[in-house]
Amino acid sequence: MGVPYVPVFGLVGTDLLKRRDDMVLAPDPFDGKTISVVAKAMRPDVAVFHVDRADRQGNVSCGYPVEAVILAEASQHVIVTAEEVVDRLDEKDAIGAFVPSILVDAVVHAPFGSHPAGMTGRYGPDKVHMQQYVAASRDDAAFAQYLRTYVFDVESHADYVERFVPRELQRPSRAA
Amino acid sequence: MSVRLDYSEAELMAVLMSREVRDGEVSACGALSQLPAAGLLLAKELHAPNAELIILNTIFRPFHTSRQFHFLAQRGELGLFFASGVQIDRHGNYNLHQIGTDPERPEVRFPGGYGGGMIYYCARRTVVFRTEHTRRSLVERVDFISAAGSSPANVLRLGNPSKLITPKANFRFEKDEARLRLDSVHPSYTVEEIRENTGFDLGVTEPVATTPAPTAEELRVLRSVVRSKMIETGTYAVWAERSLGSS
Repeated sequence: MGVPYVPVFGLVGTDLLKRRDDMVLAPDPFDGKTISVVAKAMRPDVAVFHVDRADRQGNVSCGYPVEAVILAEASQHVIVTAEEVVDRLDEKDAIGAFVPSILVDAVVHAPFGSHPAGMTGRYGPDKVHMQQYVAASRDDAAFAQYLRTYVFDVESHADYVERFVPRELQRPSRAA
Repeated sequence: MSVRLDYSEAELMAVLMSREVRDGEVSACGALSQLPAAGLLLAKELHAPNAELIILNTIFRPFHTSRQFHFLAQRGELGLFFASGVQIDRHGNYNLHQIGTDPERPEVRFPGGYGGGMIYYCARRTVVFRTEHTRRSLVERVDFISAAGSSPANVLRLGNPSKLITPKANFRFEKDEARLRLDSVHPSYTVEEIRENTGFDLGVTEPVATTPAPTAEELRVLRSVVRSKMIETGTYAVWAERSLGSS
């Protein structure tokens, strides 16, 4: 939208407001009386999101309906990771949300980039890995170990897919 | 008590929720809401054929993105919404964030949510429900206010909570007093049992009305039409198969 802030109905009197400095109470500037929450606009420096297909110019077919367009519009820079990179993608060929290339700075080819979550139309979630993640998140040491194994000690995305994406997820017949 | 009821708790709550739906209104529930989903579908079969239903994350939704749902609510087009919280207090505040009052060290952390804290002020009526009627869930004061039951008069607000539904009783929200008051006790329960299991003053002098039990017709449609519809459309299908008609 490009506006500095936006008023919203709701949230007045909640403890949520005590923890946030990007939402405050403010009077209606027209009547000077009515109070509502005013939320500061979010302007991320960089947005990164994973999609189904992108072309070399940065046109994006998300693969399912998702709020990617407002995210891309709000952010200074946009990096898209894609299951598949094609030569040319037109809006009419898009599945779900379409993000035009003018909003996108970089496209990265990253098959299985949603793992361990699933990717609509391609593969389901890796439930075994998800359980490991939940277990690891219970304490800091276990989580640090998780990060070492699955993030810091991984050489490349291809290395990650090779080592950690189960073979049965990589077969098209298991598509979600 | 030893009275044998011919319906389950889940069926009772779904029927009670269906009675809150008005014909022609937009009525909605969020994700992870099997009871309201069943209630909404039941109302549509019985007394509200023209109700427009929104059951998030199912095929019963007019649009795909949360942005559209957000602005539908902000425009005041939601007639009825169903919400739940881990704690609900006397003033109609509910807590979907945490147990324990220290924000840095909660005893238990829940998903929280912006949506409920917004919709609670926008939907014309919100029915709060809780499947556990105990003193730990119905409290004098919630540990964390995720959504406030009432607001000062100068606050922009389109709607309020209207009712609290549990497996044991219905409470109505008194807007002028900003409090919940026991409205009716479900069949087989006594006011004394409700008092023992509620962490706030019931605000009533006896006698208190008994909630009309689910009718044979309500139960028949719930167990046949609604159950099949939920299974066929993948709307909490596993839950519907297990919980409706198997009592």
